[in-house]
Amino acid sequence: MKKLLSVFGAATMLASSMTMAADYPSKNIEFIVPWSAGGGADNVVRALQPSLEKALGTTIVVRNLSGGGGAVGFSRAIASKPDGYTVTIPTNATFTLEGLGNVAFTRDDFDYIARVLVEPYVMAVRKNDAWQDLDSLSSDLKSSGKPLRIGASGVGSSTHIVSLMLGEALGLDIEVIPFDSGSAAVSAAMGGHIDGVVLNPSEVISAINGDRLTPIVTTGEERSSALPDTPTMEESGYDFELSQWRGIAAPKGLDPAIEAKWVEAVKQAVEDPQFQKAARSMGSDISPLYGEELDQFVEKTSKPLIEEARAIRQ
Amino acid sequence: MGDYVEALGLVFQWHVLLVIGGGTLLGLIMGALPGLTAAMAIALLLPLTFGMPPVMGMGMLLGTLCGAIAGGSVSATLLNIPGTPSSVATTLDAFPMARRGEAGRALGICIVSSFIGGVFSAIVLSLLAPPIADFALRFGPAEYFALSVFGLVIIASVSSKSLLKGLVAGLIGLLIATVGTDPVAGVQRYTFNNLSLLTGVNLLPALIGLFAVSQVLKDVVDYFGGGPVEHSKSKMDHARPRWVETLRYWRVLASSSVIGTIVGAIPGAGGSIGSFLSYDQAKKMSKTPEKFGTGHPEGIVASESSNNALVGGALIPMLTLGIPGEAATAVLMGGLMIQGISPGPTLFTDNGSIIYGIFIAFFVANIFMLLIQWFGIQLFVKVLQVPRKLLMALILMFCFIGVYAVDADIFNVYLMLGFGVLGYFLNRYDFGTAPVILGLILGPIAESNIRRALLLSSGDWSVLVTRPISLTFLLVSAAFLFFTLWQNRRQTTPHS
Repeated sequence: MKKLLSVFGAATMLASSMTMAADYPSKNIEFIVPWSAGGGADNVVRALQPSLEKALGTTIVVRNLSGGGGAVGFSRAIASKPDGYTVTIPTNATFTLEGLGNVAFTRDDFDYIARVLVEPYVMAVRKNDAWQDLDSLSSDLKSSGKPLRIGASGVGSSTHIVSLMLGEALGLDIEVIPFDSGSAAVSAAMGGHIDGVVLNPSEVISAINGDRLTPIVTTGEERSSALPDTPTMEESGYDFELSQWRGIAAPKGLDPAIEAKWVEAVKQAVEDPQFQKAARSMGSDISPLYGEELDQFVEKTSKPLIEEARAIRQ
Repeated sequence: MGDYVEALGLVFQWHVLLVIGGGTLLGLIMGALPGLTAAMAIALLLPLTFGMPPVMGMGMLLGTLCGAIAGGSVSATLLNIPGTPSSVATTLDAFPMARRGEAGRALGICIVSSFIGGVFSAIVLSLLAPPIADFALRFGPAEYFALSVFGLVIIASVSSKSLLKGLVAGLIGLLIATVGTDPVAGVQRYTFNNLSLLTGVNLLPALIGLFAVSQVLKDVVDYFGGGPVEHSKSKMDHARPRWVETLRYWRVLASSSVIGTIVGAIPGAGGSIGSFLSYDQAKKMSKTPEKFGTGHPEGIVASESSNNALVGGALIPMLTLGIPGEAATAVLMGGLMIQGISPGPTLFTDNGSIIYGIFIAFFVANIFMLLIQWFGIQLFVKVLQVPRKLLMALILMFCFIGVYAVDADIFNVYLMLGFGVLGYFLNRYDFGTAPVILGLILGPIAESNIRRALLLSSGDWSVLVTRPISLTFLLVSAAFLFFTLWQNRRQTTPHS
């Protein structure tokens, strides 16, 4: 009898979870953006929103929880139920926050649903005739013996960490100056107050098109579509590849059936021409990744970032 | 020229005009409610613009921005509650004037000054954007530090009753500004493991607490203490735009519009200090500096023309360099990029008709702002006829909603209440709350930039005096400080 009951219990539980997945979504979905409205991540979510809503057949409510440089929003996201009605936008900041040790969550507290966009980091330097490309920059720096003063978008941000990593990989003496935002760093570089920046293409593309900054090298797997003439680190002969990315994640424990629905929705959303246009103008490349491959990507990207962030802290 | 004609065609279609007007109206309403900022209003309307042509969408958002800044002065005037940080300086004179029963006059001056400041910055934007953007780029860490020192000197000028108490309040602001992650070394300071404090004390809860909640607390204490509750004046003067009276202060209008536009154009200079700088400037140039802070029209003209000129100024680096100076323009830039247009120098060559369309839409938004306020002013002053008891309850409700809405973080609400209590005591003992806000805004700018400047100079302090812009600001700051002290002395000696 007892056994029968437990089987029955298990069956109803299974059935209820199945109907939950079958009904999904039966109410509004909350999309937590851990940064303020108008930031890079927010723009991505708002550009995705209409087509995701169409694909999922429900309303997506974007909530900007921008406290603590992402810490508040991510903490809130993982504290909510993994029922698919709360999702967030993971980026490299998810990992650097963990590495800096300011937050209680780790990269394993999320179920990663999709990677949507990638953008490499780009090193761009102020206008200087001796700094045309990586070779001329390195030889000029080595002969002058001066450090390369690079602006990053904030202390402990992924751009800060990648700047340090690039210095190590290239064998250059890079001094990182943290600014309050990427645009503050760009304006300091344009004004000649610092030598250059390591940021994402969307933040430097205006300055590059305006011929005020020179792109030197990018860190992506492939060349960035926003900067088709700038070589990658690998093309330049260095074993270094690391990209900023933006995707969708839920708190750990998401029902695979619900995850599958999301994956379908994201697949449709990235085909939307309006979204593709927006992604292009933001300087990002649409590069969707799901399931096993996504988990490998998270593993590969998060490890060095977390290690290097820990080192900054000490 | 062809681009301009095409741009006129893009703006002057009835549905584009309707959308710009609608955006302005919404901005006015949101700006007038304490806690709802211009950036928030724009972010709310942003998704609506995706389906619109660029000029139409940007026109709506620009209308919202103009409206929100102008709306901030309505609550500043009537209730002593600045709707946005940049209308803090407006409260200094507009509220005392309204309390004398001249709310209509104060608002009338606000409306005309806002319009003139906005139009001035629109003209500068369309004629001089590239050279001003180049000037703004010359601001490096040393210059930002010197500029913030210049701003801090204003504390001496806005502390009306006692210089010493004003300085104490300013230092409280600076002290609170040290909370959060150290901007250069990344060490946490006074955060007590609270995630919400990692990026420091949020400005908006502080602002609302210091100005709105403290006012409500004062009323509550007066009410239960049996003391005289300040009743709103039943006598109401005629509410209409005051053209002649405002234009009489053309010198203040001109200097404040210039200051507002330039400070707005320097990205990250803490836009809201523009109105303080103008207020300070007007007080120094005035023949009657002692009247400032008692409901003097010159003070209102200075603050209001300047804070609307900030808007056009802030558009300069955003459109010409792709660098947004503060939150509201950052959201605007996001809107442009989603439209598939990347701001920057190429915008002028590739999308000439769009950028000129944006300039024209900004003009039109200013005109709508004037018209809506012109018709609305009669309604605004009616707010004062609501019994104070009910009004205060309503204000408190809006404070909670607005502050929670910033980050959807309940911690900000506690912060607001804490600042409310602080503000109550600061006002009660005549320390004033405006210096605290100045300290809070300028503290982080001063600190992070002096440290960056020293990092770049390898610890050599001489960068502050060897760079011309920095040296100029420091010298002018010193001169102003002595001038203010001298002015204070001259005002107090006849009594002693």
